[in-house]
Amino acid sequence: METTELLEILNGIFRKVLKRDNIALTEDTTAHDVDGWDSLTNMVLISEIENKFGVRFTFREIVKLKNVGDLCHAIMNKTK
Amino acid sequence: MKKNDADMLAAILQASNRYAMRPALVLDDRTYTYQELFGLAGSISETLRNLKEDIIGITAENSMETYASILAVLFSGKTYVMLHPDYPAERNCRIAGQSGIGLLLYSGENGDILPADISARRVSLSSYCPASYSGIVVPDVDPDVPAYIIFTSGSTGEPKGVPISRKNLDAFYRAYSALGWELDENDRMLQMFELTFDVSVVSFLYPLTLGACVYAVPQKGMKYLNVLDIMERHRLTFAAVAPSVLRLSRPYFGEICFPDLRYLIVTAEATDVNLLNEFRPCIPNAKVINLYGPTEATIYCTSYVIPAEGTKHHNGMAAIGKPFQGMDYMIVSPLGKQLPAGETGELWISGPQLMSGYWCAPEKTAECFVTDSSGRLYYRTGDLCLADSDGDIIYCGRKDTQVKIQGFRIELSEIEYHVKAFYGHTCNALVLPIYTHDGNCELHLVIEKDAEDTENLERYMQSHLPSYMLPRRIHFIHCFPQNNSNKTDRNQLLKYITQ
Repeated sequence: METTELLEILNGIFRKVLKRDNIALTEDTTAHDVDGWDSLTNMVLISEIENKFGVRFTFREIVKLKNVGDLCHAIMNKTK
Repeated sequence: MKKNDADMLAAILQASNRYAMRPALVLDDRTYTYQELFGLAGSISETLRNLKEDIIGITAENSMETYASILAVLFSGKTYVMLHPDYPAERNCRIAGQSGIGLLLYSGENGDILPADISARRVSLSSYCPASYSGIVVPDVDPDVPAYIIFTSGSTGEPKGVPISRKNLDAFYRAYSALGWELDENDRMLQMFELTFDVSVVSFLYPLTLGACVYAVPQKGMKYLNVLDIMERHRLTFAAVAPSVLRLSRPYFGEICFPDLRYLIVTAEATDVNLLNEFRPCIPNAKVINLYGPTEATIYCTSYVIPAEGTKHHNGMAAIGKPFQGMDYMIVSPLGKQLPAGETGELWISGPQLMSGYWCAPEKTAECFVTDSSGRLYYRTGDLCLADSDGDIIYCGRKDTQVKIQGFRIELSEIEYHVKAFYGHTCNALVLPIYTHDGNCELHLVIEKDAEDTENLERYMQSHLPSYMLPRRIHFIHCFPQNNSNKTDRNQLLKYITQ
């Protein structure tokens, strides 16, 4: 899967969970850049992403994610 | 008693001299020694001492300057009030106005946290150069002078200021120390709370009385992940956490382990015994203690060691145990009569940790204080409790979570308990009373879970609860919102389900 394709899917998940239509993620986007992306909604986002891609993240893996780019790489590695 | 046994600031100062080169504070993976932290604190404190302002605002930031400012205000004999950059400007304004902040200490970009019409002097600490460490001298301070004023939300929307005097803080320190901790300068201790919430005061100050190291958790980003990460990476030995941390980290219980942790404090809201039991394998060597107390009685005033088996609880909420040394309590009926063991009523507490009254709000003070026939002053906590035959206090919920429907008195936690039991204690549930226009009370059940069919749940409830206790509606929400004190935010939930 290409990163752009992945970002589109992630946009959909983020828009749905955070109830905002104007979210446009890039690889550099961090939680600071997105209104409503916090400790609590992150749990929901992760579980939506896990369901969507049929993957599971460990606590260590989630801690290491610093931006959306890291998230994309992690998903790509798991779905290879 | 030696002076240091009674005086928290003196103990901190002594430790700071004795352990000058040891780590005092770890923030964003940067370590500050006692010498660095107290060098800055001493120098700010000297500046403050020469100024006439007595009430000092501090912006709550995750920075060494913020922590040094807290110490500086305490050492200068003045009073601090935390302002939070994430609070609405209007709330910070009210707090500044009510408390009479004369000077604001800030680091970073937060000098404009108060609008220009609040005339407090602004002092930036970002470019502050600490004087060389020459030692701090603590002036003789009137023990009635507040060490800090914490603002709690009032039911009318106007925040209430809770001033905690140096006398209160020292009474707390004596009682807290007497709990028998086996801690020393080698311990690594967690500070995860917002600085506007009073558990942060003990999480920050108590380790400094020991020469131990404080690990402060960044408030931004994924806080509960940060907590687990810091606990694991730095092998913390002591952690006071809100139960929400356990709830949120539940998906990872299978992969986390903290063998170095010797004390786990659960505080800030009722602890779910079943959730705690699931977490136990992650903390094989820790003693778990429930600490309870309203801000008005200085941080904590009761403690209960939660045993691995046979925990005392009410509807799954762990007992809060016995009062701190020097503190006293009674369980009281709605008519103000003391109730015998086993009967549920409001918890009233008394003793040297009680504030003397809300800041500049005598009518609010009068509402929450009562004097008994012997002249003893009690604070009405608004918490429903009962005392068992061992004298342990069992927490039964907030007074306002008890509602009357069709004349029946209902404890919402009982419904919640059965719902959680239905799900095998794998998720949280809350029941909110919603009052309709004609004054009727409808119960709405909110479950922290993805939406699913409720037929089986409804059948289960029907077989375990009388019909007047059955919720009118069931809502699912994946994750409960939290307030700044890491408690479930009932008002937000209410908004969510009524919108």
